[in-house]
Amino acid sequence: MVAVEWCFRLTSVALLHGLLRAASAAPVLEEEFYENLKLTPLPDGRLLTRFDFKTLLRDAAPRAPHTLAEEDEPQHYNLFPLALGQLLREHAVTELHLTLNAGQWNYAAWGQPEDSGVATGAELWAWMGESRAISVKDRWKGITNGLAGLFCATLGGLDVRRTVSPSVAFQPEGDIPSSTPHHLLYAPLPSESVCTENLTPFLKLLPCKSRSGVASLLNPHRLFDADWHGMGVHVTWEEGLGVMVRMNFVAVYNPTRLMGLQNKRDWSFRLLFDRSITRACPVATRSAIHVALPSEGNFRLEPTAHSNLGNIAIFDVSKVQEPLELSMKWPDESEFDHTSFAPSLSPPLTVRRVLTGAGQSQGALAVSLSNTNTETMRVAWVETMPWFIKFYLHTLEATIKGERRNDLVKLVTYAPTSSSSQAPTLLESHVTIPGNTTLRLTIDLEKSFISYTQHPPAAQRGWDLPGGIIAFTSHSSHRGEKEKELREQRIYTPILLVDLPTPDFSMPYNVIIMTSTLVTLLFGTIFNMLTRKFVWIKLHE
Amino acid sequence: MSTQEQEPTSHLQSDRTRRLTVASHWIVILLAIPLWWSVTNIERLSLPRSRVARIANKQLRSTINILVDEGDLRRDLEAEFEVRAQNFPQLGNHLDLRFISEQINPASSEVTYRVNLAKDPQESQVTLGDRSISFPAGNKPQEALVPQIAETLQALLLPPSTSAQELRVIQYAPRYRLAFTLLNEDASVGGAIMGWEIASAINRYLSSSLERLHVLHNFTIESQVQFHAPLAFDPDTADNGKEYVLDQERLKTFVNSAEWTLASSVSNDPVLHFVLFIPSAARRPLRIVQENGAPSKSNAFIVPQWGGIIIHNPPDHDHLNQYLTAPDLSAIFTTFRTQLLALLGVPQFPANVVDTGEGISSWNLDAMLRRRAAENTKGSLEALGSIVKLVDRIKGMPIKNDVKGDFIEALEELDQVYSSAVESPEAALLHSSRAHTLSSRAFFNPGMLAMLYFPAEHTYAVYTPLFAPAAVPLFVAIVREFKDWKKRRQDKTKKE
Repeated sequence: MVAVEWCFRLTSVALLHGLLRAASAAPVLEEEFYENLKLTPLPDGRLLTRFDFKTLLRDAAPRAPHTLAEEDEPQHYNLFPLALGQLLREHAVTELHLTLNAGQWNYAAWGQPEDSGVATGAELWAWMGESRAISVKDRWKGITNGLAGLFCATLGGLDVRRTVSPSVAFQPEGDIPSSTPHHLLYAPLPSESVCTENLTPFLKLLPCKSRSGVASLLNPHRLFDADWHGMGVHVTWEEGLGVMVRMNFVAVYNPTRLMGLQNKRDWSFRLLFDRSITRACPVATRSAIHVALPSEGNFRLEPTAHSNLGNIAIFDVSKVQEPLELSMKWPDESEFDHTSFAPSLSPPLTVRRVLTGAGQSQGALAVSLSNTNTETMRVAWVETMPWFIKFYLHTLEATIKGERRNDLVKLVTYAPTSSSSQAPTLLESHVTIPGNTTLRLTIDLEKSFISYTQHPPAAQRGWDLPGGIIAFTSHSSHRGEKEKELREQRIYTPILLVDLPTPDFSMPYNVIIMTSTLVTLLFGTIFNMLTRKFVWIKLHE
Repeated sequence: MSTQEQEPTSHLQSDRTRRLTVASHWIVILLAIPLWWSVTNIERLSLPRSRVARIANKQLRSTINILVDEGDLRRDLEAEFEVRAQNFPQLGNHLDLRFISEQINPASSEVTYRVNLAKDPQESQVTLGDRSISFPAGNKPQEALVPQIAETLQALLLPPSTSAQELRVIQYAPRYRLAFTLLNEDASVGGAIMGWEIASAINRYLSSSLERLHVLHNFTIESQVQFHAPLAFDPDTADNGKEYVLDQERLKTFVNSAEWTLASSVSNDPVLHFVLFIPSAARRPLRIVQENGAPSKSNAFIVPQWGGIIIHNPPDHDHLNQYLTAPDLSAIFTTFRTQLLALLGVPQFPANVVDTGEGISSWNLDAMLRRRAAENTKGSLEALGSIVKLVDRIKGMPIKNDVKGDFIEALEELDQVYSSAVESPEAALLHSSRAHTLSSRAFFNPGMLAMLYFPAEHTYAVYTPLFAPAAVPLFVAIVREFKDWKKRRQDKTKKE
């Protein structure tokens, strides 16, 4: 992959230089834009489409937090999205990750995603340097509100009641300036759903919007029809390289459903996006489509790829003269056999997480981790719960086949909630899972009785609880680069719905009426007793 | 009363005790009413409304010293301006002109302008300096010069402006964002402008003007380039078929806010947009036409209080993409600068004056300071007046301490505007700006709305189940006592 990228970068840079020489005085390229679409047929007949848009602000550095009190330098951008750049500068953000996803990623069928951030709903985490002028928490508030406005999402709800600072599982993906101490803030919002109103502002941040290049395939009507879809914005800084914004949109399509009665896994751009690429994005340094070719089966990919690397077919969008319309067919298959697919992608670790207990006030959380490898695995387990869920830490229990093994769990952080601060609970621990076993973790919890004004509209639906996070901290058999990659992988469990004690919302009025009636009754009786004249009546016989 | 009746056995049954019981209930209720009133009443602090009216009646006056060396000329000018002050109420109401022969107190911050007569017969133009002006004396007698000098001075001190000019001036703010945007209508068809040397262009053509405007405003600068910025309409083809044209109606809907991401989300400072629009290679050249269909001289226009737009048709080089260097941007940025000055309301010089400082001199800066201070003062007074009116009209509107505090502080700042206007226009502007901020904050205070959504009727609805049934025995008791008393009086009179 790396070799391919380099090769492309060289040719396109040369091409661009040629073009620019023709125009007057070639400028220094300070910003670069790369776009890529990767299509991967999945063994279960689905198709993974991944749009990647990278904008690199070469040699730029995040704003130093100690300059926050001073006036910022003027911002001049060619390709970098100004609206996002302003937000990053205003709050001196070093690294930022925002994902908005709909649906639950199926690890068993689709494998580990390229980007770990597939949590259902919204998830935001950012690394920020300390500053005396404006505290990290105040800037976090500014970021969440700014992003909420930018992406039309209810991210403003990511306030102190949602925000935690985990110490494991979220390592910076880029570099962090060593001159200032940095803090991580993380907030999940599982109830957020992603839709067109989020995609439209997302597209406006791209230099070619959705009007040319790979991005022209982003048709909201079709994207939100996919089985799983999500978007992400990742800002990182790499020393010596610059500030990079990666924006991606991932959709898992089900061609067998889209084909209607035919029940085939054949796909084409027309079928998936109802569009084709007619024009190249003029500012993209590299614009390519990668199709991962299945290792088996008789398939036909049209048109012919511009180049091949291993089992990846590569199309260079900038070379395209006529509308590019890719399609892939399995001519021998009359119907896709859903039963045939073998769980070849079955991950080394599978996680199940459920809420147990029937009552409205008590319950327990049960997480079972199954290690399918023979080797022992060490992972980090992170749970963050809203303030109305209280864990009883002493009930945390690890069992293997009914046998207590609390020695396998090493607690890292436990930040309990308190109803006054309404800060969320954070539970982080290292868990060791022996090979070929299933480790079951349980912890009792209490559901708080919250004030009736704190309930959301449609309170009977219940509250969404964020999914648990399993992070691979290290892998015993791997070293160096590979280890870093593994460490950054996270698995998100499905989100949970919790039923809190819900009051009858007409209750305050009922209470007023009832109390008033009782008070009046009492008052009337006493008053009448006091003012009534009691007299003796002689009865004549 | 009757023979069946016996005397009550306890003193509780006496008429007197019963009456006392009823009376004490009523006394408690009557005493409790003021308490109940005060705890359920909306907090409405009194506002110093008379002060608003007093300030509103005052004229904002600035003192200006005019230093003239020639004694004859000074006397003539003084007499001329006395006449003018009656003819032009603006001049008489707002400016105190003092003609002096020498600087009274060089340390004072009062504004002093120097009027010179250039004796050099070669000199034929009126030239402006830093708070000084020099008129060519020529060979004409001095009396002939006086009306001309007075006319020029008046135009400099109180620049006339048309309502169209005034309408496009953006409301005063201590800080503006200047957002420069290079918009390619469609870069994918080629012939687009892929970038511009914006930073050095701003340095070369704009920064000196921005620095001079520093006494009035601060600026935050940002820029972006867009490659797909479609118009909301298709431009018409010209009669000759070779050009595309925009008439005046089209200019009104030119800004396509739905597709152009120009909005800034990080601050509340007002934004002035400067857009360089590059029509798509397929629709070139694009020109602005006047009402009568004749091509307009300039391809730039101002959107009032929003910003300036320049339509730039780059020379065609076989549809190759181009890059604008700082020298290429010279004409464009000169236009942007003119648009900026117009949007900020920098007054233009009288026609006969030669300008040496890019359209900004101490003369029109001072005039702007005075005008902005007056505008802010007016705006602030209007806001305060509206608060008073609103509070009078809506009885359920609470006025809490924060609103009252802002209100009083705004009044204090306004007092300072009047006292400092005499001496320093900068201080007057600062105070007026603060007064304007405070009065708008008081006006938009969310606390003033609270009760509008919970009217008094709701309170009654909630408490009626308590008050109505409890009131019935109380009233019945008092009616019964009254009847009793009446009956006894009748009995008494009968007996007599």
